[in-house]
Amino acid sequence: MSLLAQQLVLAVLLGGVYVAVAVGFSLVWGILNIINLSHGAFIVVGAYITWTLFGRFGIDPFLSLPLDALALFVIGYALQRGLINRVIRAPVFFTLLLTFGVNLAIVNLLLAVFTSDFRSVTPSYAGSGLTLGPVVVPYIRLAAFVIAFVVAGLLSLLLARTRVGAAIQAVASDRDAAQLVGIDLRHTYALTYGIGAACAGVAGGLLSTVQAISPTAGDPYTLQAFVIVVLGGLGSVTATVVGGLLFGFIEVFGQAAPGLGAGYANAIAFAVLVVVLVVRPQGLLGR
Amino acid sequence: MRLSRIASLAVAVVLVAACSSGAAPGGAPSGSGGAAKTGADIIIGSPISLTGSTSNEGNLSKQGYDMWLSWINEQGGITVDGVKHKVQIKYEDDQSKPDLSAQLMQKLISEGHAQFILGPYGSPATASDAVIAEKNQIPMVEANGAAEAIFNKGYKYTFGVLSPAKKYLAGVIDMAATLTPKPTTVAILSADDNFSVEVAQGVVDYAPTKGMKVVFDQKYPNGSTDVSSLVAQAKATNPDILMNSGHLAEAIAINKAAKDLGLDAKILAYSVGPSTPQFIKALGKDADYVYDGSQWTPQVKYTPSFYLGEADYVKAYKTMFKTQDDPDYHVAESTAACLALQKAIENASSLDPAKVRDALAKLDVMTFFGQIKFDSRGLNIYKPMVVEQIQNGEHHTVYPPDVADKKPEYPTPPWSQR
Repeated sequence: MSLLAQQLVLAVLLGGVYVAVAVGFSLVWGILNIINLSHGAFIVVGAYITWTLFGRFGIDPFLSLPLDALALFVIGYALQRGLINRVIRAPVFFTLLLTFGVNLAIVNLLLAVFTSDFRSVTPSYAGSGLTLGPVVVPYIRLAAFVIAFVVAGLLSLLLARTRVGAAIQAVASDRDAAQLVGIDLRHTYALTYGIGAACAGVAGGLLSTVQAISPTAGDPYTLQAFVIVVLGGLGSVTATVVGGLLFGFIEVFGQAAPGLGAGYANAIAFAVLVVVLVVRPQGLLGR
Repeated sequence: MRLSRIASLAVAVVLVAACSSGAAPGGAPSGSGGAAKTGADIIIGSPISLTGSTSNEGNLSKQGYDMWLSWINEQGGITVDGVKHKVQIKYEDDQSKPDLSAQLMQKLISEGHAQFILGPYGSPATASDAVIAEKNQIPMVEANGAAEAIFNKGYKYTFGVLSPAKKYLAGVIDMAATLTPKPTTVAILSADDNFSVEVAQGVVDYAPTKGMKVVFDQKYPNGSTDVSSLVAQAKATNPDILMNSGHLAEAIAINKAAKDLGLDAKILAYSVGPSTPQFIKALGKDADYVYDGSQWTPQVKYTPSFYLGEADYVKAYKTMFKTQDDPDYHVAESTAACLALQKAIENASSLDPAKVRDALAKLDVMTFFGQIKFDSRGLNIYKPMVVEQIQNGEHHTVYPPDVADKKPEYPTPPWSQR
């Protein structure tokens, strides 16, 4: 019983991390129609920024999150404006190819700078947690969960309440009409991609505290983000939150499936994905 | 007219001269130094991961090969039937991809004229390269693929100098049996790749023979990013020993999760990971008390019959690579592969691949790395694994007692009292 309670807590907290991983990916896919294969690499870049600031200057990993976001925003904005925008109206295959190439370039750059060593950020309070009877709620995971929801909430507000958000939504629904009413298309595209990258940067900073990172560690996150967005459905932050939490539950309880063993965790995750695609091809909350 | 004829004559003369001088080193021994004759260079090929996900380990392996290369050439080369042959190692970067490794190995043999092969990094690449060694009947001595599956296919040309996967954590079980209070229960988590599964199976088979019960045995998909659920399940079984058979990334994640969830085992032991300096850097003080099984440590004491002893090896490594770090076991095992190949060539008194293969099969030498002797499958089952523990941020060898430099710090204190 206490194990079940512990698993539930872990599932919810892990779901929070997945929300952070997927929310930027979902934005870029939903608005720009780009399946951004370099998303995982952005996450790893964010993780390395946090790691460097912690290791060199002793800056707390949670304090460095805004810097992760800012740095990745700049990188994302520049990449979109200078490179990806050139194929924005090309078939989806070209954007896949280009973002895959960007992914390779970033990963190899990181390998050259940081080597393939595994790193992790371990602040002094790592490992302490709230003890509720037999159940432990680790502080770092709890903080990651809260921050993931803050990021998702801010993104939701930005899209719903600000001029920039309105412009992004307008571009998503009809880019020609948006251009006619005076929205700067290229700027808006780059802004959206930059915001997506910034979310990835924050996710990376969070992940560096719970897991080990290396330059090649990003690819599984791209895949996870993809699955989460397909599960939840394209087009809204809420859908990604639902997808992320669901994926957390699948991952945790997939490792604890009675009679199957943890080796089937991935099989269970993708079986759920297939079922969702058959029953609700647009995702659980997709439009 | 006449000028051009002279010119073409000159070209012809130069060409002939170039051809004959080019042929000289490959022909008869030149014997310039008096007694010791020198022959053509021996060419050894090695496809190794200099870039990609295992570039770190690949470069360490290359360091190990290069250590031996510079030493043997200082000695004038390998002596074959009274003739000294200098050695060249040709490397190709397999980018940490097993398929590419096999392609490059074929290229090294057919275009690079490699006469022998030193193995790539990792069990997957070694498995695909073993096929190429077999097809070309070129002996491959490898030091970085410990999965027994590679050696159960009846290959005749692949030899591994390192202890097989099943022994990786057996040393920790042996050590645990000598400690008081004696631990009685084992929980083991394992990645689901070939190598890790074999390591875990080794524990599941071996622990009961030492009076320990395996209370939890679960595999997670290779490359899992979160294993906290498994650690929570392991905690529910309240094990004395928590083991992981996986890779560095998972060892770090599991150690973090064990602290997060308050899993207080008397022994925390992970197959791969804790022996690297990165493990300590990533975890800081939380890395203390962790055990691992290691192929070799700079502290072990063997009595080698040739090449360097441990102390000289460590010194030579620091000089050659201008570093303060001790060589890690990847470096040492790679050098050991070279030593096995060298000894086999000398014993065979021939450069014929088939004869060198037979000499490898019969080899039995003591090196700074431990005994090298192969069973009928080409696997070195004669060398023991040593157990290391991290104490105050430093690696120490704690078992077996005859090669250890410290006693194990046991039991591991609960996380709350550290």
